[in-house]
Amino acid sequence: MILLDLELKDSPGELLKALTPISKMGINIHSVIHLRERKRDDKVVVRIVLENLEEDTLKKIVEKLEDRGIVVTKVNNNIRKMDVDVVVIGHVVDTDIRDTIDRLNRYGLVVDLDLTMPHPYKESSARMRILVDIKKLEGLCKEMEKISKEKDLLFIKSF
Amino acid sequence: MRVILVGFGVIGRGVISVIKKKREYLKKRYGMDVKIVAICDSSGAAIDENGLDLDLALEVKKRRGKISEYPGKGVTLEATEVIRSVDGDVLIEVTPTNIEDGEPARTYIIEGFKSGKHVITANKGPLALYFQELMSYAKRYNRIFRYEASVGGAMPIINLARETLAGNEIIEIKGILNGTTNYILTKMEREKLDFDTVLKEAQELGIAETNPYQDISGLDTAAKIVILANSIMNMNVTIKDVKIEGITRITPEALTMANKGGYTIKLVGEVKRNKLEVCPKLIPLDDPLNVKGSLNVAKLYTDLAKEVIVVGRGAGSIETSSAILSDLIHTYLQTSKG
Ligand SMILES: NC(=O)c1ccc[n+]([C@@H]2O[C@H](COP(=O)([O-])OP(=O)(O)OC[C@H]3O[C@@H](n4cnc5c(N)ncnc54)[C@H](OP(=O)(O)O)[C@@H]3O)[C@@H](O)[C@H]2O)c1
Repeated sequence: MILLDLELKDSPGELLKALTPISKMGINIHSVIHLRERKRDDKVVVRIVLENLEEDTLKKIVEKLEDRGIVVTKVNNNIRKMDVDVVVIGHVVDTDIRDTIDRLNRYGLVVDLDLTMPHPYKESSARMRILVDIKKLEGLCKEMEKISKEKDLLFIKSF
Repeated sequence: MRVILVGFGVIGRGVISVIKKKREYLKKRYGMDVKIVAICDSSGAAIDENGLDLDLALEVKKRRGKISEYPGKGVTLEATEVIRSVDGDVLIEVTPTNIEDGEPARTYIIEGFKSGKHVITANKGPLALYFQELMSYAKRYNRIFRYEASVGGAMPIINLARETLAGNEIIEIKGILNGTTNYILTKMEREKLDFDTVLKEAQELGIAETNPYQDISGLDTAAKIVILANSIMNMNVTIKDVKIEGITRITPEALTMANKGGYTIKLVGEVKRNKLEVCPKLIPLDDPLNVKGSLNVAKLYTDLAKEVIVVGRGAGSIETSSAILSDLIHTYLQTSKG
């Protein structure tokens, strides 16, 4: 059996959008399990159980899903993508927050941003959630280190 | 069992109190008769080959501040001389930690081995800087060397990993190994106060030292990480190999931000192959590493047992002395077998 963990938007039609391409390929879907305990923000995590498949077919499925903007977080318990969080302390806005995000986006995707600015002259802080391919995690870390040195920002990571 | 105690401060006095308190228990349970044949502080020493009067020693230290004023048996001899010249089975070394050059503890420990004593220490400095050297002395002179109290105070970790978890490969250790920073971060989070305010308060309460630099800069945690890496994970590293970031830049706003995302911020030390790091980290609110106040915690990842987590008090006179006592009992049992 094959297990696929998908992260879907919590709105009607999203599950169907994920299942349609799979069934169109003539693949048996054994079951669909909602992993409710892992619900985060406005996302739900769904585990799809499929019949045993060739490596190639599996790859095709994952590609098709990703083409449709669906996040495949795990394939058979191998983590592919994960959400990481960081809290950033420093002059987050004044050091060109757009540039910071753009640079992080080269390795992952900043999906959520929260900012506080207690005082214009004081250091502010931001929280970011970044969706990142497990293979690019190290690159992301290195980029954070670089930005941290250049802009004197402290990245407090969840990983 | 004849013991030489070097260092008669918070921990040294704790060791004496614990030995006093457990005297009967040690005799009954292990047939162990502990005699303190010498106590040293910076003023000199009190020496009695038949065993010092422990109540009197504590009294003299309290009243006069100097152990060298112990009636009739006080001397102004330097500790190295005492270690060398007094007959003893075990040296308990509890002088102040020095992360720059490990002295005077390094010299005392080496002198202990050279003069045929087993050594127990609570001192991070020499262990973090000269681990291999000290181990090689212990080996050369065929002496036991134990240092459970140096990491995590009363929280069992070194002997736990090496003895209780024997057979497991320890793949990774991650933990909060400094009570002062944990206290500060917990307080900042709960009361939304800034770092300086909480630090000052912690100093007034005696939780943080007058010079808190080693704690808040992460240096203290780094020294402990190095000890764990060398002693448990067979690495050969020193404090210079650790990437260090302290907690001085943490703000209450950042803690609130972290909370909103389901996290707290802790100063975490981490060691695994290719990674030796001390830095503030986001820890999920429901994670076992999220311990409050001045508690210490460590998570060990092993190949067979998987995760093992310990929580305990990282400081305190009696608490830390309990780890020293357990090393003393171990040493006795090892050497009295014949
Ligand atoms: N406190 C804790 O909770 C804790 C926890 C874990 C580990 N430790 C470690 O335990 C050790 C002792 O800590 P502590 O809190 O007991 O320190 P402390 O209260 O400062 O006591 C240090 C003692 O060492 C003596 N001393 C200083 N220089 C000396 C010298 N050159 N020769 C002989 N004695 C000397 C001092 O003498 P005077 O009395 O004459 O000044 C004092 O009695 C440190 O390495 C520390 O890192 C402490």
